[in-house]
Amino acid sequence: MDPKLTEVSQQFDRFKAAMTRKDYNTCTQLLSQLKVLLTGFRSLPPLFEDTPNAIRELTLARDIYEHAVLLSVKVEDQDAFERDFFQLKPYYTDAGKRLPPSPNEYMILGLNLLRLLVQNRIAEFHTELELLSSTALENPCIKHAVELEQSFMEGAYNRVLSAKQNVPNETYGYFMDLLAKTVRDEIAGCSEKAYDYLSIKDARQMLLFTSDQELLEYVKEEHPEWEMKDGFVFFQKAKDSAPCKEIPSLQLINQTLSYARELERIV
Amino acid sequence: MAATMVSSAGGLLAMLNESHPSLKLHALSNLNSFVDQFWPEISTSVPIIESLYEDEEFDQHQRQLAALLVSKVFYYLGELNDSLSYALGAGSLFDVSEDSDYVHTLLAKAIDEYASIKSKAAESNDEAANVDPRLEAIVERMLDKCITDGKYQQAMGIAIECRRLDKLEEAITRSDNVHGTLSYCINVSHSFVNRREYRREVLRLLVKVYQKLPSPDYLSICQCLMFLDEPEGVVSILEKLLRSENKDDALLAFQIAFDLVENEHQAFLLNVRDHLPVPKTQPLQTVQPGSNDPPSAQNDSSTAEDVQMNEGTPASNVNVQDEDPKEVIYAERLNKIKGILSGETSIQLTLQFLYSHNKSDLLILKTIKQSVEMRNSVCHSATIYANAIMHAGTTVDTFLRENLDWLSRATNWAKFSATAGLGVIHRGHLQQGRSLMAPYLPQGGAGGGGSPYSEGGALYALGLIHANHGEGIKQFLRDSLRSTNVEVIQHGACLGLGLAALGTADEDIYDDIKNVLYTDSAVAGEAAGISMGLLMVGTASEKAGEMLTYAHETQHEKIIRGLALGIALTVYGREEEADTLIEQMTRDQDPILRYGGMYALALAYSGTANNKAIRQLLHFAVSDVSDDVRRTAVLALGFVLYSEPEQTPRIVSLLSESYNPHVRYGAALAVGISCAGTGLSEAISLLEPLTSDVVDFVRQGALIAMAMVMVQINEANDSRVGTFRRQLEKIILDKHEDTMSKMGAILASGILDAGGRNVTIRLLSKTKHDKITAVVGLSVFSQFWYWYPLIYFISLAFSPTALIGLNYDLKVPRFEFLSHAKPSLFEYPKPTTVPTTTSAVKLPAAVLSTSAKAKARAKKEAEQKEKEKATAEKTDLSSAGKGKSSNEKDGDSMQVDTPPEKKAEPEPSFEILINPARVVPAQEKFIKFLEDSRYVPVKSSPSGFVLLRDLRPNEPEVLSLTDAPSSTQSPAGGGSTTGQQGSASAMAVDEEPQPPAPFEYTS
Repeated sequence: MDPKLTEVSQQFDRFKAAMTRKDYNTCTQLLSQLKVLLTGFRSLPPLFEDTPNAIRELTLARDIYEHAVLLSVKVEDQDAFERDFFQLKPYYTDAGKRLPPSPNEYMILGLNLLRLLVQNRIAEFHTELELLSSTALENPCIKHAVELEQSFMEGAYNRVLSAKQNVPNETYGYFMDLLAKTVRDEIAGCSEKAYDYLSIKDARQMLLFTSDQELLEYVKEEHPEWEMKDGFVFFQKAKDSAPCKEIPSLQLINQTLSYARELERIV
Repeated sequence: MAATMVSSAGGLLAMLNESHPSLKLHALSNLNSFVDQFWPEISTSVPIIESLYEDEEFDQHQRQLAALLVSKVFYYLGELNDSLSYALGAGSLFDVSEDSDYVHTLLAKAIDEYASIKSKAAESNDEAANVDPRLEAIVERMLDKCITDGKYQQAMGIAIECRRLDKLEEAITRSDNVHGTLSYCINVSHSFVNRREYRREVLRLLVKVYQKLPSPDYLSICQCLMFLDEPEGVVSILEKLLRSENKDDALLAFQIAFDLVENEHQAFLLNVRDHLPVPKTQPLQTVQPGSNDPPSAQNDSSTAEDVQMNEGTPASNVNVQDEDPKEVIYAERLNKIKGILSGETSIQLTLQFLYSHNKSDLLILKTIKQSVEMRNSVCHSATIYANAIMHAGTTVDTFLRENLDWLSRATNWAKFSATAGLGVIHRGHLQQGRSLMAPYLPQGGAGGGGSPYSEGGALYALGLIHANHGEGIKQFLRDSLRSTNVEVIQHGACLGLGLAALGTADEDIYDDIKNVLYTDSAVAGEAAGISMGLLMVGTASEKAGEMLTYAHETQHEKIIRGLALGIALTVYGREEEADTLIEQMTRDQDPILRYGGMYALALAYSGTANNKAIRQLLHFAVSDVSDDVRRTAVLALGFVLYSEPEQTPRIVSLLSESYNPHVRYGAALAVGISCAGTGLSEAISLLEPLTSDVVDFVRQGALIAMAMVMVQINEANDSRVGTFRRQLEKIILDKHEDTMSKMGAILASGILDAGGRNVTIRLLSKTKHDKITAVVGLSVFSQFWYWYPLIYFISLAFSPTALIGLNYDLKVPRFEFLSHAKPSLFEYPKPTTVPTTTSAVKLPAAVLSTSAKAKARAKKEAEQKEKEKATAEKTDLSSAGKGKSSNEKDGDSMQVDTPPEKKAEPEPSFEILINPARVVPAQEKFIKFLEDSRYVPVKSSPSGFVLLRDLRPNEPEVLSLTDAPSSTQSPAGGGSTTGQQGSASAMAVDEEPQPPAPFEYTS
């Protein structure tokens, strides 16, 4: 067996051990070393050279990156998630035909969809969705994300929030929490447009807060332009900012008509 | 298993954000190899990569890699400037030898950038221009690579563009075929180096390289030296060659001289001639060849003596001083080369050629004459112009002789131009020019009985005869100018002087003409203005300022116009040196001076296709308020672009559809000038609609321009030529046609058959030099809008299309060569046969005689010629005194024309031409020299004068062209110019009347 490969797999074992210990700091360090080691393999993307150990190497590398993605969820690092996911993706898309399918594939794809939803990157979400096969869409992990998106778009925010209870995998929890916040932001944006003001009680209910205190903190952090006064939340300020310009339609119609009349007279 | 392909660069891009540097490096290097495929994806991450490039903590290699990657992405995005600046950052990673679009594009960009920086620096004379050293390094790497790969032409091109003369020299000296590369380089420097100063630098370098070679190519060196205006260099080369033991060297020297003469740079040639050292032997003996110099030879009216001189003196020299044979040989050769340099030899040979090969069709003229109304003086004189142009340089004035009555209808200025027309017909007849014109010239101080118009015309004619070779006639013209107060005579004398002393910048003559100018007479002043310009052509002298001041002072528009053109002529070919003057003129209040400014632009940048000049001209063409200025601006484009005739139709095509007829007229002439003699299909297509324009003068311009384009193109080449000839005939015969377009049609038929169908209009010599006389001629010609007599200036632009081979004695030996093309492609147009019915009804007698003559010419040419010669000899036996020798030579000259004329049933794919032969420009590429021939050309050039090396010098030589025409043409003595041609045709066609008596005008 290739000594390099052995070295990597040993290191990977250590990484997995650390992961089960939940020693995430060690994990991150090990992972970084692993990635550097992986660059030494020429069979990995983007080169895909046909070395004798290609399949084993690819499988191992895929495993490592899958773990890297999971790790990033554990340490709640969205950037790392994105990075690792993109590096992992070629193993699914390009090398997928050569490797035995990974048990974690749909789970991770679902996670990514969820992440896009959380970050409110709906366009990318749909792009990813289009790339999936119909069988993949049947998978509970993917289905979950798709349903969430539909509810989200419909504005059925309660369904989104209730979906937290039946997640297909425990790793989804992190994103579901984040999703709640995204939903709240959406609601806040809508209420701003819909109402001039709301009573604090209504606002609390609307924004799904359990206490007034939470609401106050939220407003302070996210929407400092809102005004809290006499038990009401005023959105007025935000509205003023964009006065829309009126089109002098009547004048235009008159002019056009007179042109037409004169044109007729000339001819 | 099929190789797996990556489908996205996303993974690698994500890797760029990793914290570990080796991961980033890995990502970068992989991205770099996949950038061609994934640049759209990468382009969104360019900022990240840029930040990697700027990150000081990275090691050099990694940063360069990042720069290269960014550069590639920018390249794909079309942002070449950004791409280049990052590529420079990539340093050595940017591999100039890589064969990819990216590298090619960026290299081109880099070189462009570098070249523009360098040339900007050179133009602002700022030596310390800060060129990015990295940029310089790339260009140098490229140059070195080109040189080592053997792509010398590329290297030279780049070096010239970038003003790296050091590299240019290196490329030339290291190339495997130094001669080839040098001549390529000369071509390049003429066609692509826009700035005159810089071109001179390049040429100077070339001369230097040439001289270092073991076997220098003297022909090319001398061409370069001529451009640099360094007569001393040429003199030393010529002297070396002439003094050589080897006869071939002398031949080479002669060839050089002929090539120099072709460029028509009179002042330079005279300089060379005068600097050639005299033989070292006793001055007493060298006086004699010295007296053979043009002044005395030209003034000499006796033909016999002239012949004697050319042949006799060398022989007598040999007899007298056999003590130093070397010097004798040198003296003899010197004598010959001086003859060549003064232009006499070539003019004489050309004259002989044009005379002996004259194929003009008198029937065309007859038709014109009959259809033109007598009272219509414009068309009447147009016919005279057409005749002169048709017979330019052939010395055949049969038509005039046959129609003396008709001719005498010309009065006043028409008489002036009729007389001047003789000058065109006898152009280059240096020896007898004066005696030919004698009957019309002003007679001494008495004023004589002659009309001032014919006297003025005669002086103008003398100028035309001696154009650019006026050494002998200058003094006479000056005297005539001084001794008269009649403004018509002054007019003629001024024009004549200007022509004869073209470009000599002679101060005395200038002062004489200035005196005429200061009399402030409109007619004389106009000619004086033009004449001053002719005198100072291309000198950029400060006289221009003087002329400009006077133009502001005078009230006469004519004078201002003459001066404006004159000023323009002074800056001929000076390119950017003329910019101040041009600026001054084009900003003037007076439209006539702005009009002169257009000419100045045209002449200063003539044949350079300079973008700046074109831009300026186009600007004036659409924005000036005066129609005259706009018309001239468009017309001037023709001059600027004549070195690239293909461009002109494209550039003026929009203007030719302008609503303004003046602009359309200008467009037509611009095409005519720049595409003259090319028969360019696009040019004809552009002119065709204009020939039936609604405005009469546009038709006129278009017809003339069309004729200029189609000169010497026959129907086999382009069927539209035939259509055009028929169109001309129709216009001329149409009673209801406007006078203007009728005149255009008459002139056009003259130009179409110019010079006995043996000349073309050529503004560039074979070595791509501009022919100064030709350009000046056309520019003054284009003034005929205001002043018809200036039409004759077009004759300066005619150059004979012939290959004339010469032996060591500068005689024309019988020598065969091959034209590897169907004879019909280049043969003469068929002579017109049956005239149209209308004219037949009018004058049946005339028609009969001419058609018989035409038939006779077509069928029994050989026979006729024999008779012709026989009669010629008979009549001139006494005067010429060398009939015997010419007898057998004539036998050969007859065969010259016969073989190609007879058409075999299946047309042969080649024809044998016999020296001297008509070789039209389009035919040149088919000319081949036979390998087993007795003569070998010194330089294999398909046209012009070619010196032949005799491989069998011991055999007797057979000469095919003799001095017969010039010696027998016009017997000496008081203007009895009974032409040989006239008498010859009289003999051939029996019903022809006796040759008329010498004619004179009765006023």
